[in-house]
Parts: sequence; structure tokens; C-alpha cells
Amino acid sequence: MGYVIHPAIFYALWVLGGLGICIALPRRKASPQLLGALIAALAGGLVLIALGITAREHLPNLYFYIFSLLGLGSALRVITHPRPVYAALYFILTVLSSAGLFLILSAEFMAFALIIVYAGAILITYLFVIMLATQAPEEGEVEVLASYDVEAREPIAATIVGFLLLAVLTTMLFRGIEKLPLPGPVANNSLLTEMPRKVEGVLRNNDILKEGGTVSVADAATSAFIIRNPGEEERYLPIEQWPEELSVKNVEHLGFNLLRDHPGTIEIAGVILLMAMLGAVVLSRKQVQMDEEAKGHQARVLARDTLAGVNPGDGRSRFEAPRPLPTSNGAGGHA
Amino acid sequence: MSNLLRATFAQTGFPDAFHGLTLAHYLFVSALMFTLGLIGFITRRNLIIMFLCTELMFQAAAVALIAFGRYHLNFDGQTFVIFIITVAAAEAAMALALIVLLFRKKESLSAEEWDELKG
Repeated sequence: MGYVIHPAIFYALWVLGGLGICIALPRRKASPQLLGALIAALAGGLVLIALGITAREHLPNLYFYIFSLLGLGSALRVITHPRPVYAALYFILTVLSSAGLFLILSAEFMAFALIIVYAGAILITYLFVIMLATQAPEEGEVEVLASYDVEAREPIAATIVGFLLLAVLTTMLFRGIEKLPLPGPVANNSLLTEMPRKVEGVLRNNDILKEGGTVSVADAATSAFIIRNPGEEERYLPIEQWPEELSVKNVEHLGFNLLRDHPGTIEIAGVILLMAMLGAVVLSRKQVQMDEEAKGHQARVLARDTLAGVNPGDGRSRFEAPRPLPTSNGAGGHA
Repeated sequence: MSNLLRATFAQTGFPDAFHGLTLAHYLFVSALMFTLGLIGFITRRNLIIMFLCTELMFQAAAVALIAFGRYHLNFDGQTFVIFIITVAAAEAAMALALIVLLFRKKESLSAEEWDELKG
């Protein structure tokens, strides 16, 4: 068959999950959110267990289950919580648990970048806007949630669409994934030949390279090193004798990939961010509405201040009551 | 049973390849997270939460990319996630500026207040 799990089981579980999510979505009347969340969690957990039974030999480690449970649970809370501030805070929890998933996928740099950029910057911006765009209750009033927050729009149709997509996606996904070929061995250490300072530093710290000794690459393909110490014979350092820390780290891999294999991408990212910043500034600029009289007054105050700078001794107060402009001066209001 | 326990607690080091079935677990989490984001985007009527749900979908894409990158022992996936984060930041800045602009006009965050914008 080639299926990891039989599609019929999948479809049944997704119907159950869709039912749970549909119940969990906010409603104006009593909404049994906890019950819905439990049903959805049951369905998701059953899929994971079914997947785990098939993949008995290839289970991910325990942390995967912890992080994915946390992440998916708080993602459910993001879409069901009626208060936007709590939704944003639950989204931070989702970001933290996907950072955990990145860590066990040995993508350390991306995990921390995700925490810094997402949880630290983007979500704080969201929180600020939520605070800006929510009216505080008046003195003595009880806070009421806005009507658009307490009620979901088209929960049944949306859940059907979403889970239809998920069912198709996962059936295609798990069909024959067992037979995916394992990738061939990677020359993990070939990058070391491009980092002579690191190699030298590590070898010196481990006392393999003595004072005044040099190291050079014997063969770029296998990245074997030749050690020349003063007063000793030139020797070849096979990979078995390498110190533990003489390996390419995730950040180094990523740096080479980003700056050597894809040069210029960082600049493009910078341009995108710059354009977004300009756009945001232009969009959210506050336009002050002034009538003609106020504009004229503003212009006169400005003109007087300028004159006062040139001729400070004329003795007039800078804070005079506004006088209406002479009507004959038609262009006066547009200063 | 002990075999199962050992597999559960195993921490595989980076250069070791992992099996397609392990990859399937991560892809499953990613697909479910994406679907939750999609459902949230359709059902919620608060503009801020709608954009929060797009961020959820970005997260799901990032998890899938990193899992595939780990499976193929290839770093292009991680490089691409940097771009996802960049685009998410740009999108958040623009979207929030728009939301502030719209809120000043109508004093409401409801997406349905803006239905006269239909083409």
C-alpha cells in the first residue's frame, strides 16, 4: 500500500479533530471551549500515537512530544481566546516551543533568532498595537469584550475547509514517506579547510600544535591536516585523532551558506525591512486637521519667531492671541 | 519496551541522518499548526488576531523548512527561515500600521467594518 497510516483512520481522526476545533471556537452563548480542546487534543494525540507505532524504530525523542504539545495547544488557544492580549501571549508560547523544536532539529542559531526576533520584537509590537487600539473602560464601568471578539465568523465552514486541506496534505505526506531515501554521507568537515584560524586555535588549545608550529591542509577533499612542530617530524593528523571541538558548528555552516553560497541575500532582506519601515511610517503618520484660521495663526507665529531670532529687541510677546487674517491676502492661509 | 524507551530519549547528534518517519512527525506538527492558523484567519473577526494567525502560518512553514533541511543535511532551509522571519517582520510592521490607521477612522478593529472596500 505504501501508506504509513491507512487513510480511512486519518479521515476519521480528522473529522473528530475538526469537531473539537469547531466546538472550541468562541461563541456568543455558552461555548464549551475546554471540551472542544480536549476532543481536538485527543484526535491529534491519536494521530501521533498511530504515527509512533508505525515508526517504532525511528521515534523522535521525548522533547519533540513536549514541545509539539505545548506549541499546538497554545496555537489552539491563539485562535480561540476571545481577548487579543491573551492570544498574543499564547502566540509567544507557540514561538518558544517551535524554537524548542528547532533546537532538537539542531538548528540552534535559528532557534535563538526566532526567540529574539519573534517573541522579543514582533510580538511586542503586536502588544503595543493591541493596547493602542483598545478602548479602556470608563470610570466605574465593567469592561466588556468587543462584539467581534466574542463570536467566530463561519466556524463550521472554516473548520471543514481547514481540515479538508489538512487531510489531503497529510495523506499525501505520509504516503510512501517510509521509502524516502536517506541522504548520502555529507562531507561535514570540508568547511574546516576554509577556517584555518579556527583549526589552528583548536589544535593549539589541545597541545597538538606546539609554539611555533604550523598546520596546513593535506587534501581538500578529506580535509586532513599536516602538523609541523619545531624539532619534530612532520606528521599527518587523521580524523580519529582530532579533538572533539574540531568540527563545524551550526552557526558556521549557516554563515557559509548565507554569505558564501547565497551572497547578497542579506542585503535584499535589509531592503525589504527598509521599505517596510518607510511604508509603516508613511501609513501611520497622523495628519493634523487645521482650519484656515488656525493655519494662518500658525504661519504668523512661525514668521514672528523667525523675525525674533534676527531682531530680538522688538519687545513683543510671542504668545499673542490669534488675530484673523486680512481677507484680501488670499494666499496667507497656505503657508 | 526498553527499545522504545531508548528511542524516545535518544538525542541524535547533528551529522547522523534521520529516517523519513521521524521527518513525518515534524511535518505533521507543521501541517496541523498551519491548519490552525488558517482556521483562525478565516474565523476570527479581529484584525489583529487575523494577522497573528498569519504569523502562526509562517511559524508552521519555518518548522517544515527546518525539518526538511535537517533531513537532507542541507542548510538552505535554515537560510530560508531567516527570510521568513524578515518577511514576517516586514508584514507585521505594515499590517500594524494599517490597523492603527483603520482604527483611527472607525474606532473598531472588526474586519467587517470595512466591507465597503470590496472591489
